[in-house]
Amino acid sequence: MTMSWFAYTLMVFILLTAVTTALFRDVLSAIVVFGAYSLGMAIFYTFLLAPDVAMTEAAIGAGVTTILLLLTIARTTRPSTDRLFERVHWPGVVAVGAFAIVLLWTVLPEMVAVGAEDAPVWANADVTQYYIQHTYDDTGVQNAVTAVLAAYRGFDTFGEAVVVFAAGVAVLIVLKREVFA
Amino acid sequence: MIEYLDTHYTYVLAFVLLAIGLYMMIANENLVKKVIGVNLFQTAIFLFFVSVAYVEGGDAPIVPAETNPGELLVASPLPHVIVLTAIVVGVALTAVALALIVRIYAEYGTLREDTLREVRADE
Repeated sequence: MTMSWFAYTLMVFILLTAVTTALFRDVLSAIVVFGAYSLGMAIFYTFLLAPDVAMTEAAIGAGVTTILLLLTIARTTRPSTDRLFERVHWPGVVAVGAFAIVLLWTVLPEMVAVGAEDAPVWANADVTQYYIQHTYDDTGVQNAVTAVLAAYRGFDTFGEAVVVFAAGVAVLIVLKREVFA
Repeated sequence: MIEYLDTHYTYVLAFVLLAIGLYMMIANENLVKKVIGVNLFQTAIFLFFVSVAYVEGGDAPIVPAETNPGELLVASPLPHVIVLTAIVVGVALTAVALALIVRIYAEYGTLREDTLREVRADE
């Protein structure tokens, strides 16, 4: 029921990069460490049998997001600092500590164990098992994720494209680039 | 709570990452770091969804090219699809937030929340 030592090492790596992202005072360092965090997360997704998610996270999470953040500090400012870490904001620590403890005490005992075959998401005969059994028959695609994304839930993906288009329009308006002179 | 580290480890990691992302949004004065905090919060939720779909000893959600494949031990594809959509929407959100930050810097010449509050109070 336990994962390999490599997965546990990866979890420690993810946790360490997340904490250093939060504490680094220099914004450029924080962005670079956040890129490493995204990459660690992408590798961890492959351990959790989600290669499609892992590839998207590596390309978009670690790639595009990092580039957007770097472009932003290139166009604005990178505050110079002589200290390595931020001062710890204790009221914030208490607030999010309470948040984490509430989650760990109330939600965690209710969750089914990781990877259990009787987990409601996995064992549901009408939903998950339907897609696993009928994907090839219905769509002719062997990758069930692609089949759901592009065929069964095609309109969802279309709505996602509309969201991305709206975001692009919003960025152009905010940056006053909507007119091509 | 320690006994859950063995069976619920990804959920523990997801909840701790949620807390770190929330901390970044609350405590960091720099607006760019607040946006990084939003992204960190998002990846924690993605991890939650992906670990819900995981099945021990299974394979990635690839099915054989047969009409009736029978019993298969593969991860559930549905949470994966939701996460794919959420990753792309998350980047769109990040792009809009960063564009607003660029404009804020052009108007006020600062990215620090406390300085920004002072500058706006003076106007």
